[in-house]
Amino acid sequence: MLNGLNVEGTTPLHRMSVRAKLAILLVCGLALYAVSSLFILIPAFVITALIYFTTGLAFHEAISRLKPILFTILILLIATAYLTSMREAAESFFRLMAIVLFAGAVTATTATSAFIDEITRLLQPLDRLGLVRAADVGLAFGLVLRFVPDIFNRYQSIREGHRARGLKVRPLTILAPLIILTLKDADTIAMAIDARGFRRPREKHR
Amino acid sequence: MFTLCSSQNRSLFPSIRKSSYRAPTFERGGRGLDIRFSGASVTYGERAVLQPLTLSLIERRIGIIGLNGSGKTTFARLINGLVKPTTGQVTVNGLDTVQDASATLAAAGFIFQNPQHQIIMPIVHEDIAFGLKNRGMKADEIERRTAAVLERFGIAHLARRRVHELSGGETQLVAIASVLVTGPGILILDEPTNQLDLKNRLLVERTIAGLDEHTIVISHDLPLIEQFDRVLLFHEGRLVADGPVSESIRTYHEVAGC
Repeated sequence: MLNGLNVEGTTPLHRMSVRAKLAILLVCGLALYAVSSLFILIPAFVITALIYFTTGLAFHEAISRLKPILFTILILLIATAYLTSMREAAESFFRLMAIVLFAGAVTATTATSAFIDEITRLLQPLDRLGLVRAADVGLAFGLVLRFVPDIFNRYQSIREGHRARGLKVRPLTILAPLIILTLKDADTIAMAIDARGFRRPREKHR
Repeated sequence: MFTLCSSQNRSLFPSIRKSSYRAPTFERGGRGLDIRFSGASVTYGERAVLQPLTLSLIERRIGIIGLNGSGKTTFARLINGLVKPTTGQVTVNGLDTVQDASATLAAAGFIFQNPQHQIIMPIVHEDIAFGLKNRGMKADEIERRTAAVLERFGIAHLARRRVHELSGGETQLVAIASVLVTGPGILILDEPTNQLDLKNRLLVERTIAGLDEHTIVISHDLPLIEQFDRVLLFHEGRLVADGPVSESIRTYHEVAGC
């Protein structure tokens, strides 16, 4: 599960600016989609795996962060192999894995606050044009990273609640309470953001 | 036998619309407190959550008690402008909570029932620093203040910890630190010892007792407010007792029917 949390370290990726890391991720991601040679995709996969596993993440943590996305990629692999060919499936697998591993490495080596700062800075031109509120987008990004583990914990609690009551765990019976509880919390979180002055309310005049 | 929360209670506990109670006050180095409710009420649709209320709060430590759904949280949220009065006015040290919303929020910090809801960043240090960064403070000043507040609450060892891995007591202390780092003169805590085990409850109680800021605490944990200067009791959206701790708690027992 991607907690969006970094590990402290002194690797080159840790020292690199957030902007540079995001730019490399973007360029590499696009470049990998432009090639379809396994002679490039497999080395790309190996290199990104090396980068990811040397960020300082504990091995089991590194693996557990990959599990959910790995599951999706495997389904895609099977579907591609069935619908097209094994070669194309292999290309998709190594391409996606390389991107995921590098994105994971960027996440693991960048503090959330640094991400928020960079996103806010990048959106400043749009903010000046009145198209977005850059600080709000940065905050929203931080909130996603912060509350994903909480939502996952709640999902597990609801699932355990089902088991404790001897109920069969079905996605629909879990999703409904999960969504309701999450939305209920969202109201309080929004209020807390105002209370802490992160998002200045517009002054009202009576 | 007293019927719990029935309409019969109303005659026994007429609402104190204009409260004139003044506890013996003392200053402990902080700024003065002057919160004024002038006919402030809150209504959601047809439902009156808080009846019109006129009172002023100047004491350093104020407790708010009452049964669930009695209007305690709404009253507290009126103070820092999280809830706007439907009628009347609330001022905090001269600031109108509606017209001077930002200044009021800065003057009165609020700790929610579930402190997890107000910790926005995933790492303790980042969350405390975020409040200061948001106020446009310089990096070295942010670092200095963050370190100072972590030290003040004895949680410097938690600085690099993930928020969702903290214990209940630790989370509560982080929430208090992250609010107080921005320097509000008033701290409002909504059931701060709720769901804490004995060890964490005592830790949070000791922390609250040691605060220099004016504190307003909503609590079902009566020992927590034992030493407070003034206690307000709410029942069915009305203030039914306002006075020293012993008096308000006695009335609370009558209201609760025990």
